[in-house]
Amino acid sequence: MASKVERPLVGGGRKPAPARLLRVLKGEAFFRGVLAMPMQLLLWFLLIIPTLIVLYLSLVAWEPRMGTDWWQAPFSWFRNYGHVISDVRFWQAIVRTICVVAVAVMLEFTIGLGLALFFQRDFLGKRLFTSVILYPMMLPWVVVGLAFYLLFLEKGPVNYILIHFLGFKAGVAWYHYPVLALSTIILADVWQWTPFMFLILYSGLGALPRDPVEAAMTLGASRWQIFRYITMPMLKQVVIIALIIRSLEAFKIFDLVFIMTGGGPGTATESISLYIYRLGFVYGQLSYAAAMAVLILISISIITRLAVRPLEYEV
Amino acid sequence: MNEERSREGRSRGFLALIGQASRWLGALAICLVILLPVVWVLSISFKPPQEWLAYPPTIIPVEATGSNYIVLFQPGNPVGGVATMVSSAEPVTKALINSLFIAPIATAASVTIGFLAAYAVSRYRVGGTFMPFFTLTTRMFPPVAFAVPLLVYYRLLGLIDTRLGLILMYTGFTVAFSLWMMKGFIDGVPRHIEEAAVLDGASPWRVLFTITLPLVRGGLAATALFVFILNWTEFLFALVFTSREAITIPVQVSHYVGAVGRFYGPQAALGVVASLPVVVAGYLIQRHLVTGFTFGLVRE
Repeated sequence: MASKVERPLVGGGRKPAPARLLRVLKGEAFFRGVLAMPMQLLLWFLLIIPTLIVLYLSLVAWEPRMGTDWWQAPFSWFRNYGHVISDVRFWQAIVRTICVVAVAVMLEFTIGLGLALFFQRDFLGKRLFTSVILYPMMLPWVVVGLAFYLLFLEKGPVNYILIHFLGFKAGVAWYHYPVLALSTIILADVWQWTPFMFLILYSGLGALPRDPVEAAMTLGASRWQIFRYITMPMLKQVVIIALIIRSLEAFKIFDLVFIMTGGGPGTATESISLYIYRLGFVYGQLSYAAAMAVLILISISIITRLAVRPLEYEV
Repeated sequence: MNEERSREGRSRGFLALIGQASRWLGALAICLVILLPVVWVLSISFKPPQEWLAYPPTIIPVEATGSNYIVLFQPGNPVGGVATMVSSAEPVTKALINSLFIAPIATAASVTIGFLAAYAVSRYRVGGTFMPFFTLTTRMFPPVAFAVPLLVYYRLLGLIDTRLGLILMYTGFTVAFSLWMMKGFIDGVPRHIEEAAVLDGASPWRVLFTITLPLVRGGLAATALFVFILNWTEFLFALVFTSREAITIPVQVSHYVGAVGRFYGPQAALGVVASLPVVVAGYLIQRHLVTGFTFGLVRE
């Protein structure tokens, strides 16, 4: 961030008392303080206090059904964390979510980059096509989940295409097999968020300076060489931002799973968000869910810190 | 020599035409894939019950009907034979009204608070670099991690299943977007315009509201529409923190899919109703979507 020392907009100067009060109200210090106040109150109310509460909850043994209030619950210190670490379902959900993130984000990036390169040249109706491509990311998650749920029903259009055009003998029961169910979820995510990758890479490519590319061309570089050694390095920062933001978002995955499979069959497609949701709000094991939430908060903070490191030299 | 060159030019023109055509066909194919899921939802929403699972599936309904939409609002209405399946469901009117109430108010609050804070950050560096980056933590983690403590907290404050509770939450969890988007727009306003006003004796409040605000009006609108999309589509908080009184449209969609099972027609119709406002909002701010989703780190 380009830091520049700002001059104060209003200068000092002493005046009589009532005028001085007026001057304070109109003045800069008061003004500055008031501007950011609502934001700070909001952050205290929704970020800092809840974070303290979740830390506290994770250290006590408390469930709503106990009938006592949570601040009266006995401390169990790190026992909840011990349970989390030895919870197989937790690790399964974590690994599964990471797999979904990895596969979905890589697919989105690859397809998005392909589309962005494809759309670099002008052709008839390009603007119209671009706006069609963008609309999935405006849709509510639940509606995307619903749409894909309907597409992959046993008698739905996807099975119809498989049978009639690709020679399958019978329709596939998508929601009965863990891997298939998970891949429908990934597909839905890819469908919805490839446009984001496309848009970010498309505008990134469009904003690159033309000179280096032209220079390389006159020096006889091949298209691949130009792409690999000139375009991609210049695009690096945009790519990293896109990947970080999309990975963080994809890690939250909840709505799609909730709508499409409900985590099923069994718990085979349960994401970590869905597992914490169930622990906390369905099974009522709130302090156990809190410990899990704290572990997630800590690990995401560490990973994000590491991921943004290459950016700090450039931003 | 001359002739040769013109022949070459002609064949190059022909190749370019083929290039154009193949590019165009490619784009068309991509768009069809992208449109299919939503076209399918639209199509089912206009189909009578016997066609929902008809095989082979047809894109265009054989007997198009609006009954799926009517049943959403009047579950007991016998139109189209859907009623017997849906009569147990609640009309969507309440969820629709709630969403129409909660999303705009939370949006207005988020954008106002974000705008003021963005001005403080942009012009006075209030909070240094820490405060703006600290707000991003609201978007970094899975919302469910905040939902756990917020549940006991909200119970304490009596905010469970109230519109106010959701409004507060939505404001807080979108304010990071408002702050960063607005900061980008405010950074774009040249400082010397404000300084000129100050030299003429205007107070900082006056400068903010009569000079800066009108100049970033477009940005404010874009930010508002973007935040509105987020607020309208939010699901997890609404699912956890509402049960009867304050349920929103996305939760209603999930009720339809989960509880009542196989009435695909009204589900699809509700999906269409739930999507309309945000798709309209999205198209109005196409250019700003990337700016929004990347907190203004990448702009077009």
